[in-house]
Amino acid sequence: MNGTNLLDIRDLRVSPRGMTETAILRGVTFSVAPGETLAVVGESGCGKSMASLAVMGLLPPGLERRSGDILFRGEPLPVDDNTAMRKVRGRRIGMVFQEPMAALNPVYTIGHQVAEVILEHEDISAAEARLRVVELLREVGLPSPDRIIDEYPHRLSGGQRQRVVIAMALACKPDLLIADEPTTALDVTVQAQIMRLLKRAQNELGIAIILITHNLGLVAQMADRVVVMYAGHKVEEASVQTLFASPQHPYTQGLLRATPRPGRRRAGGKPLEEIPGMVPAITDPPSGCRFRPRCPRATRECETVHPAVRQVGDTIVACHHPGRLEAVQ
Amino acid sequence: MSYLGKRLVHVVLTVLGIAIINFFLLQLAPGDAADVLAGEAGTADPEYLANLRREFGLDQPMLHQLWAFLQRLFMFDFGYSYRHNMPVSTLIFERIPATLILVGSSIAMALVFGILLGVVAARTAGRLPDKLISLASLLFYATPPFWIGLMMIVVFSVKLGWTPTGGMSDIISNKTGLAYVLDVMRHLALPAITQAVFYLAIYTRLVRAGMLEVLSLEYIRVARAKGISENRIAYHHALRNAIFPLITVAGTNLGAFLGGAVLTETVFSWPGVGRLMFDAMFQRDLNLLLSILVLSSIFVVLVNLAVDLLYALINPTVELR
Amino acid sequence: MPRLVAISRTIFSNWTLALGVLLLLAIILMALSAPYVFPGDPYDMVAPALTWPGTMPEVPLGTDSLGRDIAAGIFHGARVSLMVGFIAVCFALVIGILVGSLAGYYGGWVDDVLMRVTELFQTIPQFMLAIVIIAVLGTSIEAVVMSLGIVSWPTVARLVRSEFLILRERAFVHSCLVIGMSDLRIIFTQILPNALSSITVMSSVLMATAILMESALSFLGFGDPNVITWGTMIGMGRGQIRDAWYIIAIPGAALLITALALNLVGEGLNDALNPRLRKREV
Repeated sequence: MNGTNLLDIRDLRVSPRGMTETAILRGVTFSVAPGETLAVVGESGCGKSMASLAVMGLLPPGLERRSGDILFRGEPLPVDDNTAMRKVRGRRIGMVFQEPMAALNPVYTIGHQVAEVILEHEDISAAEARLRVVELLREVGLPSPDRIIDEYPHRLSGGQRQRVVIAMALACKPDLLIADEPTTALDVTVQAQIMRLLKRAQNELGIAIILITHNLGLVAQMADRVVVMYAGHKVEEASVQTLFASPQHPYTQGLLRATPRPGRRRAGGKPLEEIPGMVPAITDPPSGCRFRPRCPRATRECETVHPAVRQVGDTIVACHHPGRLEAVQ
Repeated sequence: MSYLGKRLVHVVLTVLGIAIINFFLLQLAPGDAADVLAGEAGTADPEYLANLRREFGLDQPMLHQLWAFLQRLFMFDFGYSYRHNMPVSTLIFERIPATLILVGSSIAMALVFGILLGVVAARTAGRLPDKLISLASLLFYATPPFWIGLMMIVVFSVKLGWTPTGGMSDIISNKTGLAYVLDVMRHLALPAITQAVFYLAIYTRLVRAGMLEVLSLEYIRVARAKGISENRIAYHHALRNAIFPLITVAGTNLGAFLGGAVLTETVFSWPGVGRLMFDAMFQRDLNLLLSILVLSSIFVVLVNLAVDLLYALINPTVELR
Repeated sequence: MPRLVAISRTIFSNWTLALGVLLLLAIILMALSAPYVFPGDPYDMVAPALTWPGTMPEVPLGTDSLGRDIAAGIFHGARVSLMVGFIAVCFALVIGILVGSLAGYYGGWVDDVLMRVTELFQTIPQFMLAIVIIAVLGTSIEAVVMSLGIVSWPTVARLVRSEFLILRERAFVHSCLVIGMSDLRIIFTQILPNALSSITVMSSVLMATAILMESALSFLGFGDPNVITWGTMIGMGRGQIRDAWYIIAIPGAALLITALALNLVGEGLNDALNPRLRKREV
């Protein structure tokens, strides 16, 4: 972790308020370099969304950051100070959420809601803001932006609404965009369009993206680096090529086996496998390694000792028995 | 059929229904309609009664009578009050402004403070301000409003001498212009509060529940991620959406406000329609009573129509077509 | 016996319900004991007029302008308030359940017609309608109960209808239809029991409203002149508002506590019944 990083998250712990023994995030560390795309993957409930909400200072009521630092351009983010964070949200860090159908306020026009970000953070007139909004709507690929600017959200499709949300997130040209499952609720064809839009925006504006997803196909297309999370822990981190070529953690390997991969179909057409079992409840985590109950490689050691993060080749992994599955077998 | 057309048909049907209920209440009364219309202790002149019966077709079959009744209703012909010695319609119309002032100001008060308290309660949910507001609304919801009025007279008029005990203005000092308006407002304060508290309690709970629901929605999270202040999120983003159910409820409560005016106007000798109804009840002037009931109901129907249109205008998700 | 334990555990794990039930029990006890604690006519003069509360041990709550015992009035008034409220709500329940279940079960034009009528009754100012009904029927306790029932049923009808609209789509109703059960049997033996918890919650709030409305009617002097009620006492005390405000304050407080108790019970029941209901659905 060096000084050139845009975002550094160090040993972040998040717990329900007043519950010291349970935790949503149990010491998560990762960083994002300027202009790169970091994918955070894992099943639902593994804490990947919480990390991004913690960065925004928008943890749901009842959850709190217990420890750990969040640095933005080397400076600690004032995540507990709502007033100070307001200057970061929407201006330095934009965010795109999962549910475009619910992400827009039904009683205000598209233009009003996009202009609101600009007027909040920049000292310009409403008329200038409106011109900017039309331009933004055009850039995110909405048809006839000068008409759609005065429409209410219920007249737009899900994909169009997600474009509006992206326009809001990009309106002040942030340094970092957090996209939390941005395409999960959309049709497959629309998914591809939205991802292309994000990629283009990244190239033009030079912003960094944190892409939170459970879709490894998207990761392969979009990401430079990948962080795999399981039950509140980072279990593996590697560049996208390394991760797909030689996944080290059995959970990552399980995820990959459960994902159809174009062009990498094995001879004999091995069927997709799912990882047996479920993500443990946060109130009742297993002892030792959190993944142990579902792990084909679990040993005595895994039952008692929680694996520390270590470097294996180009990969950072938290496992007692890392390595290729074939090698272990 | 267009939205407006549907609503208008609904209004006509409702007014018809009100008239029919009114007609059957008349039939239930002891004696026939002529006795009622003449007023029980008004003129008992048999010739006059016979005349009335012929005029209103009371010797005709029931359907005929209903038709004649409806015709008179649409002509705003409510008969003559011998008690007050003037046509019923004039009698009622004279009293309407006072009631409108009372009901209007109490609804406004209940809405404004209900919204404010509801928003505060929702934003401090589970903490002390919320608990105090919820406790107060629970208490006010259970208190008979006329009793609150009386107790306020004890405190503010009798003990403190701040406000008059009743009436709409000082009769002795013949004030005009601004002085008169201020005088009326001084007289209005207690009755308007009396009318408002019960609904204030309801609206507070409604706004609190609505705000809590809206504040948990995704677009509020999006607004926070945009860097919008909590105040703006509460009042600009959440309240605008939380207020829609309140508008509908307040519209349907209008009838209850008018009914409450009978009590409030009696307690504070406020010279409105409610007080007129109280007097009519004591004089057993059934025709006047029924006329007030019918006119109030029609008023409620029309205001609700206006509220529906307003709702459609301010809520963009309702398409006015 | 274990059932009783379970019920009381539910009650006391929920302070709203506990407080409401305790207050309500106290008022019911007052109502039941009235003829024994105050055997005389509450309209009789028993002590010097306008005795302030706490000044004469014989009349702890004082007397009104005619020397009538206020405590006796409160006890006897509790009987009337509870009875009038209870019967009026029963009356409203019968009409409301009938209308609401037919409308909700059959839907279509039956629903349209019945709901139009229900809306009609909700449009007419309730309190004014109650006054006119009393004017037509005469000032008797029966007329008061009748008028309160007539103005209260639409609330019941709407609730029952909305419950029926949801419940009639459930699998158990479909299986009853398949085995050829009659509509009326399905309505009353299958769907209605499932709607009972919501109806119970509403009834207690409705009873509070009915009691408040009864007190308003008797306050105006439109109640039965032969029975003493809290509203009558407040109405008769108005003349002494300047020098003996306690005559108004005490019955008003009794009303407040009664209505509060019923609202607390309603709210507590809602909290207690609804989560269980949701669990059963899952």
